Amino acid sequence: MLLVGVPVLGLLGILEAGRGISAPLSIAGDWTLEFDPAAHCANGPAGLRQPALSISQSGTEVLITVNDGRATALEATVDGVTLTAKSLTATISGKPGERLLEGHMHFDGCAPVAFRAVRQASQKRGA
Amino acid sequence: MLDLFHLVLQIAVILVAARIVGFLFQKIHQPQVMGEMVAGILLGPSLVGWLAPGVSAALFPPASLGYLNALSQVGLVVFMFVVGLALNPSELHGFGHAAVLTSHVSIVAPFCLGGLAAMYLYPRLSDDSVTFTHFALFMGAAMSITAFPVLARILSERGLVRSRLGTLAIACAAVDDVTGWCILAYIVVLVRMTHAARPAWVTIAGSILYVLIMLSVVRRIMPAFEREFRKRGGLSDNLIAVIVVLVLASALTTEWLGIHLLFGAFLMGAIMPKSPEFTRYLLHKFESVTVVLLLPLFFAFTGLRTRIGVGGGRAIWFYCAIVILVAITGKLGGSMFAARLAGMPWREAASLGILMNTRGLMELVILNVGLDIGVISPAMFSIMVLMALVTTFMTTPLLEWVYPTRLFRAQADEIHKSVA
Repeated sequence: MLLVGVPVLGLLGILEAGRGISAPLSIAGDWTLEFDPAAHCANGPAGLRQPALSISQSGTEVLITVNDGRATALEATVDGVTLTAKSLTATISGKPGERLLEGHMHFDGCAPVAFRAVRQASQKRGA
Repeated sequence: MLDLFHLVLQIAVILVAARIVGFLFQKIHQPQVMGEMVAGILLGPSLVGWLAPGVSAALFPPASLGYLNALSQVGLVVFMFVVGLALNPSELHGFGHAAVLTSHVSIVAPFCLGGLAAMYLYPRLSDDSVTFTHFALFMGAAMSITAFPVLARILSERGLVRSRLGTLAIACAAVDDVTGWCILAYIVVLVRMTHAARPAWVTIAGSILYVLIMLSVVRRIMPAFEREFRKRGGLSDNLIAVIVVLVLASALTTEWLGIHLLFGAFLMGAIMPKSPEFTRYLLHKFESVTVVLLLPLFFAFTGLRTRIGVGGGRAIWFYCAIVILVAITGKLGGSMFAARLAGMPWREAASLGILMNTRGLMELVILNVGLDIGVISPAMFSIMVLMALVTTFMTTPLLEWVYPTRLFRAQADEIHKSVA
């Protein structure tokens, strides 16, 4: 009884204590991008197909696959509300179900282009 | 559109890899299934995708993986039916204090340690789409599982099935599996209810009604199959098809209820009549195609989702070491300690702990469910897959070290002489 009861009580304590632990903001899933219409970049946004970003996330480590026909992969990190990759920086906002990304993407030969991204509904992580 | 060429090529490559690696693992005294699991991992980004990304991309293009997944899921449904079929509740009777104590502690101890590890891993490998409670409960369930089928195979290969240690291990593993699946069902319902449009009461009331119908109505119909088997010495193809349809119907019901289709298949197997001849007959009918063809596809699909050593840097290996240490301490240590307290000699208690620590493919099944419902991240999935491989791989050599075959045979001979 003691061998089972004590660990069960311990587990309940862990679950209670764990409620105070926070995890990185979730951004995993497919994202549709809207670019600043005023931006002029010949090799940029026009070459992307929607959903333009597919994000796989493990904690603060993120892998972004850009839907540019070559499936360019970008390693990124989430630090608080900031998403940082080699050619992309964005601010994360909203609740988990209504999350938004707003930031800038860098394309060859262009000035950074502002974008706003919306996550597609019912995304699952994996593969 | 279905790319049949790719699908058939994938199946052929997977089967060849599974048989070759399985054969090589048998040469080093590991169960064949261990080699098949490793073959699946090797075909994924952890080896082929890393060494030859072009080959990997050509062989397993992302668009083609849906069909491979579908086939492997069908295989899992049949496999879970087979696992339920092999489970015999009468084996759980008559083991007294040792079995009750060991099986309970072997669930609670790793569950608790898994929850504790979750406190450290949650902020590092999860995100805020998953609550800590869901993450910790899943970690606990994944840590406390024992691979009943792999365990039975290891015991059989070592001639330990009818020994006191073997029967005790099978009884404890059966209790662990049933409890583990019940806990997992609860977690799946919890997670899915958070996102589902269906009201919670439909899932809860529906699940209770489903289990009641299965245990009180369907279970009473099942002996008709056994009677037919005894009368004719076998079952016609039509009756086998009826059993398959019943398995699928049960699986679809639990999937619709939001529990997961594997639970329905498992319960259908568990309520089948358990006479040894009938069970052997059905196992023979269902096992070959599942074990030879469909399970390797599941291992390969698991391997394609596993990225051991890809990304995450050194920290990932540190997390991996923590998970493996926690898994072994909780399961092996917990079972051994409980068995010793129940009066088993140290050698047998340690052997029981080693056997209970075998996670094998049941762990892979649970991890895939966890990744599908989004309760664990891809990195956590890869770490747990590695833990499953390590804990399964270590069983045979560790058991041989603690309880050598020659020693077991000598003891068995002594018992025979004293009985004679």
